[in-house]
Amino acid sequence: MTAESSVSVPAPASAPTSPRAQDLWRRWRGVLGVLAFMIVLAAVTVLVSRPRPGGYLDPEATTPAGAHALAQLLRDQGVEIRPARSVDEARELAAPESLLLVTRTEFLAAGWLMDDLATLPGDRLLVEPVTEALQALAPGVSAGALTDVEPRAPGCTLPAAVKAGGAVTGGVSYNPPPGASSCYGGGLIGYTDGGRTVTVLGSGEFMTNRRLAEEGDAALAMNLAGSRPVVVWLAPTFPQAGPADGETSFADLVPAGVKWAAVQLLVAVVLVAFWRARRLGPVVAERLPVVVRAAETVEGRGRLYRSHGARDRAAAALRAAALDRIVPRLGLAGDVTPAGVVAAVAMRTGQDAQQAGAVLYGAAPGDDAGLVALARHLDTLERQVRDS
Amino acid sequence: MALTGRTGLLAAVGALAVLFAPQPGAAVLGLLLLLAALVTVDLLLAGAVRPLRLERSGERRVRLGDSVEVVLTVENPGRRRVRGRLRDAWSPSARAKPREQPLDVPAGERRRVVTTLVPLRRGDRESAGVTIRSVGPLGLAARQGSHAVPWAVRVLPPFLSRTHLPAKLSRLRELEGRNPVLIRGQGTEFDSLREYVAGDDVRSIDWRATARRSDVVVRTWRPERDRRVLIVLDTSRTSAGRVGVDPASGDPSGWPRLDWSLDAALLLAALATRAGDRVDFLAHDRAVRAWVTGASRTELLSVLVDTMAPIEAELIEADSESMVTAIMARASHRCLVVLLTDLNPAAMEEGLLPVLPQLASRHLVLLAAVSDPRVAAMAEGRETLEQVYDAAAAEHLRGERRRMTSRLRSHGVEVVDALPEQLAPALADAYLALKAAGRL
Repeated sequence: MTAESSVSVPAPASAPTSPRAQDLWRRWRGVLGVLAFMIVLAAVTVLVSRPRPGGYLDPEATTPAGAHALAQLLRDQGVEIRPARSVDEARELAAPESLLLVTRTEFLAAGWLMDDLATLPGDRLLVEPVTEALQALAPGVSAGALTDVEPRAPGCTLPAAVKAGGAVTGGVSYNPPPGASSCYGGGLIGYTDGGRTVTVLGSGEFMTNRRLAEEGDAALAMNLAGSRPVVVWLAPTFPQAGPADGETSFADLVPAGVKWAAVQLLVAVVLVAFWRARRLGPVVAERLPVVVRAAETVEGRGRLYRSHGARDRAAAALRAAALDRIVPRLGLAGDVTPAGVVAAVAMRTGQDAQQAGAVLYGAAPGDDAGLVALARHLDTLERQVRDS
Repeated sequence: MALTGRTGLLAAVGALAVLFAPQPGAAVLGLLLLLAALVTVDLLLAGAVRPLRLERSGERRVRLGDSVEVVLTVENPGRRRVRGRLRDAWSPSARAKPREQPLDVPAGERRRVVTTLVPLRRGDRESAGVTIRSVGPLGLAARQGSHAVPWAVRVLPPFLSRTHLPAKLSRLRELEGRNPVLIRGQGTEFDSLREYVAGDDVRSIDWRATARRSDVVVRTWRPERDRRVLIVLDTSRTSAGRVGVDPASGDPSGWPRLDWSLDAALLLAALATRAGDRVDFLAHDRAVRAWVTGASRTELLSVLVDTMAPIEAELIEADSESMVTAIMARASHRCLVVLLTDLNPAAMEEGLLPVLPQLASRHLVLLAAVSDPRVAAMAEGRETLEQVYDAAAAEHLRGERRRMTSRLRSHGVEVVDALPEQLAPALADAYLALKAAGRL
């Protein structure tokens, strides 16, 4: 039956199903092309639209809030601008003859950073310092009320302010320490402390690209920032944090060879992952037949009886089954009366008729123990009928 | 493409070199480039998988429980040797062994790869494709590709009850050689004349023939032949229920009623064919699923198992009315209709019972059902309260089946209700009894 039917059928041809390299290329080139186009477009946009991103008063930012114009003006005047992004950089660039211009002090909130800055030599120009910066770099000056930024007259004798005349100033107004000059309504505090000149600005707005051309802003800014041949311009762009002096992390102590060996091990792990991840052929799916045990409904009915304590129904089912087996054995017809069955059983087994009647036709058992006892009585009765 | 473990090992060993290299960063980059170059070279030198020609041969049919070998011939028309691994994938229930195996085909040669299937279930098992991984000479990388090589193996019902066939056939022969007196009746027919021997019934003496010859001659009789038997298989939801123990896998969750019924149907068909009757087969739930008619006596069994192999239980309610219509349309003369279904009281009440008289008026109906040994075991439980409740539930069902059986008998329907292993012989006995009584 198997041999004859398998011989004549010709074997069908095989066909490769895996995609070829050019198929893959054909399928993905559109996606890759779009991706490449988007990357090129983004790069060109960044390069062409020059406004270099940068924060407020960043010497290299050409945005309205940046200070590239002021830096450029200072360079034209022969002042050397040394931009610094972190306290460490500022420390390396600072010299006794330099002016330390500090902006965005909120990024230098850590106390030890301020202490670090306070040790640097040279003059200081603080733009909108936060309280910690004020305490560390301009002790004696305290912040007062907040005023509007608007064109104001100098109202003091500080040469830089007097020469510049009116300027867009304001912001935080400071309370000057004894012996200090307070210009523009407290928006500019200048004093000399131990041979260094410290200047505190309540608003740096007049130094930005946007406002530099207004009033005497440019003059004021150049007078203040160009007072020294070198300006160390500390303009942090993100919150500064790092190890404190004298501390070295675990990573610093590990030799470079070990780090690179770890990288190499990572490469090995990735390669092993590629090896293990590649399956030999796809997963084969199959429609499975349903698995239903036929006895499940009966088991369910048994549990229902139990959970509801349906002793009457259970007893009735057991009695009916026992009678179905006993009555034919007694040679009785199917339509015999209960009394007839009981009498026949009593005669056959020699048992008390009343007792047999109670087992076969009695009331439903009152408790669970009664049900179990009834089941066993029925068994006994059935056995006696069978064996007699 | 695929990498091998050797690539990862090489990279891991490279980590040692990096550890002691004077310029570790450059060493990492160099190793990476070296690995990439080696992998590329290996890929280029590996034998191509795509041009391989694969061909199958071997068995297309297997009986459930047996194993079958499927041969795959791999021909390499390329210029490079193809060395690596091959996986001949089949659906999980085909239980293909080995899962994957080594392959080494030199250029221009061909190799045979044998996969052994030990199917778990009846039905058609189809090949899910062949995947080959061809490793390069360095053993670092491999090309991988799949081929569709169609092949299907039909898993036939196991016909376990064939062990009962010799016993039933000897019963049949007994029936044929029986003392004519005991069996002569409506359903017997004249067979031949032979000489009287002491012990023959004098009533069977053919006086006319005796007068022509010098000897006393008696007529002999034999059971009727050329009767029609229509086996109707119910493939509806009740046939999906599992009973007994799966004889193919030993799975204790059981074998579907459908499979037990098929087994019984095969024994009956084999017996009836030998007895000279014609056997037709119909599978039905809401529509006709299979229909076999007019198969010659020699071919009937192979046609039957082939038809039965893909039949699965459908999870829908049977439409008894359309089944009776289908039977009536196919069996115009009186025949024995063997209904293989379940004695499910609820389903019977609504489905078969109303239309049964129509069927029974025209044909002799024999209904065969598989009873559940688990229910029988539950009915015996007396140890704990739970068991007694379960026993009550089991007795409830058995009582309903008994009542259903007696109702069916009152309609003139013969009923066989037997445990899974006993269904086939019980059905064969019922058939033999009908034949002996000449009721076919």
